[in-house]
Amino acid sequence: MSVSRISALGAIALSGALALSACASENNGATPGAGSTAGGSTAAGDCFSGDLKAEGSSAQKNAIDEAIKAYQTNCADANIDYQPTGSGAGIKQFIAKQVDFAGSDSALKTEPKDGKIEADDAKASCGSDAWNLPMVTGPIAIAYNVKGVDKLVLDAEVAAKIFDGKITTWNDPAIAALNKGVTLPSTPIKVFFRSDESGTTENFTKYLKAAAPDAWSYDTGKKWTGKGEGKEKSAGVATAVKGQDGGITYVELSYAQQNQLPMAQIDTGSGPVELTAESAGKTIATAKQTGTGNNLALKIDYATKEAGAYPIVLVTYEIVCSKYADAETGKKVKSFLKSFASDSVQKGLEAKGYAPLPAEVATKVQTAVDAIS
Amino acid sequence: MSTATDRRVPDDQVAPGEPVTPPGGRPGRDALSEMSHPHRGRMAKDVVARIVMWAAFALAMVPLVWILGTVIGKGFHMLTTATWWTGNQRNINSDDFGGGARHAIEGTLTMVGFTALIAVPIGILTAVYLVEYGRGRLAKAISFTVDILSGVPSIVAALFIYAVWVTTFGLGRSGFAAALALVLLMIPVVVRSTEEMLKLVPNELREAAYALGVPKWVTVVKVVLRTAFSGIVTGVLLGIARVMGETAPLLILAPYTKNFQRDLFNGNFPTLPMMINQDRGDFALSTAAERMWGAALTLIILVLLLNVIGRVIAHFGSVKK
Repeated sequence: MSVSRISALGAIALSGALALSACASENNGATPGAGSTAGGSTAAGDCFSGDLKAEGSSAQKNAIDEAIKAYQTNCADANIDYQPTGSGAGIKQFIAKQVDFAGSDSALKTEPKDGKIEADDAKASCGSDAWNLPMVTGPIAIAYNVKGVDKLVLDAEVAAKIFDGKITTWNDPAIAALNKGVTLPSTPIKVFFRSDESGTTENFTKYLKAAAPDAWSYDTGKKWTGKGEGKEKSAGVATAVKGQDGGITYVELSYAQQNQLPMAQIDTGSGPVELTAESAGKTIATAKQTGTGNNLALKIDYATKEAGAYPIVLVTYEIVCSKYADAETGKKVKSFLKSFASDSVQKGLEAKGYAPLPAEVATKVQTAVDAIS
Repeated sequence: MSTATDRRVPDDQVAPGEPVTPPGGRPGRDALSEMSHPHRGRMAKDVVARIVMWAAFALAMVPLVWILGTVIGKGFHMLTTATWWTGNQRNINSDDFGGGARHAIEGTLTMVGFTALIAVPIGILTAVYLVEYGRGRLAKAISFTVDILSGVPSIVAALFIYAVWVTTFGLGRSGFAAALALVLLMIPVVVRSTEEMLKLVPNELREAAYALGVPKWVTVVKVVLRTAFSGIVTGVLLGIARVMGETAPLLILAPYTKNFQRDLFNGNFPTLPMMINQDRGDFALSTAAERMWGAALTLIILVLLLNVIGRVIAHFGSVKK
């Protein structure tokens, strides 16, 4: 038993070393100066044993499930649980010290809400600064179901009008103008939205507000304020569109893929952009960091006009203490997040409908994770 | 059965067999042909009443059969997979097939067992007090409180425990905290049903015991509780069935884990309702949906098994007449 384990470790180390030498650019930056352990062996290197509890955003559930699986496969004694109860619930439980870290679709708020400042509460609970670490980027697709239309181009203004109920049929001149050469039917447009509070709704409305301020007059937020019919959770809106000719919704890429729904291309002003991991990553790369040091809260430029950048994206964070009161917990969080932020795990997320972190953001995240204690 | 026949007219020979005979069955028709005129109207009423009764019965059965049919049809094949009764959900993500439910089965049984351990003695003793001892204001107050408690929605019980356990004492969410909330839900069910059973014990039995010089507490333990035993077991089982599928306290107090977890006092705790809830979020995926139906069927089977076991205990434990 132990012999096979040692040989397995050897094999992992060897393949890690090979990977490192084969493409040195891919893995550096993770742990500068610790080159011997950096390559591929992030999960196998330092395992913890015991439980690690996390809770929060359902948008990153599939991603963190994959990361947990990758980690637990290497570490038989580690149990990691993630409860996908929503960003708000995750942050509350984190502040109440019920979980070791939180998953959230938005960074800790620094301005007061209901007399409380999330970031300060988290800091008080940790006894040290709380950091927002962007870990998963989930592109949001505008998924539709129109018979005979496989390719559709929209821009922010037309999208805003559709989701506001101002454009009601698919052959509306505004849509036709963006889709020359496509025969659009006169099917009525049926908008589906998320009836539950959702980070996806928040990011989608932020996009509409930023990119089409004239056409989208509503506030941004977790609750949908536009028109349409509400369905619960991502799975709900995706299945609704699938069963409704003329249906359209906004949903995470992974759910659009699971349900084989066609996705609209977005014209940002420099040509239509298809939703791919790469095009979504470009938008993340242009995001500005609003936190300082290792606090990596990002501000996404939804109105980006950069060529080839898909603008509707969602960044989900892991919210951690920079210094855990219990050193053992700190080690567990650090060990797991190190594996999560590693290139191999991030690459694997693409198959699940997420976009890997752009290289420069990943480097910053890896540095921050290393600083957790 | 005996009361039904007592009320009948004396010349109605076929009466004992009738309540279970479907409308239009032979005995009824034969009886009708022999009847004199005034009886005809009565028989017609009887037939109408029977049809209405059977129709109501069939209507009540529709949802039950429907639910069972759906759950068995969609979930049964999961129960026959190799790992279902032995494994857990570790490293089984929503789009992976199968995995086991052992962790959740163990967890649910442990939690419910622990709940019963606390709630049953409290419930039965309260009922004994109310029926055998309690007089005056205190008994009224307790009875009133139990009434209120039985009307408390599960989510309120859960939030109450959360407020006490987590917010006030600063303790962590755990299986034990959830069990405490379940105790609140189970106690009124046990009290109410035990109370009814104790009231059914004929007073003559108590008086006979007193006449023999048996002290009151011995009478309660050896005569009253023994006589009501099978009814009390049924009540306890109803209580267990009530809390076994209860989800709100688990959502708030006992986060789910996919791993085996036998420690009720620390950390996350796996249970069948939470397993169902976990996979419900991904019902668009056939793998998760199948698992959800499988877990639902497992939960139904557990409740059913407990009922059967309870019936057996009640049967062998009851006083022979």
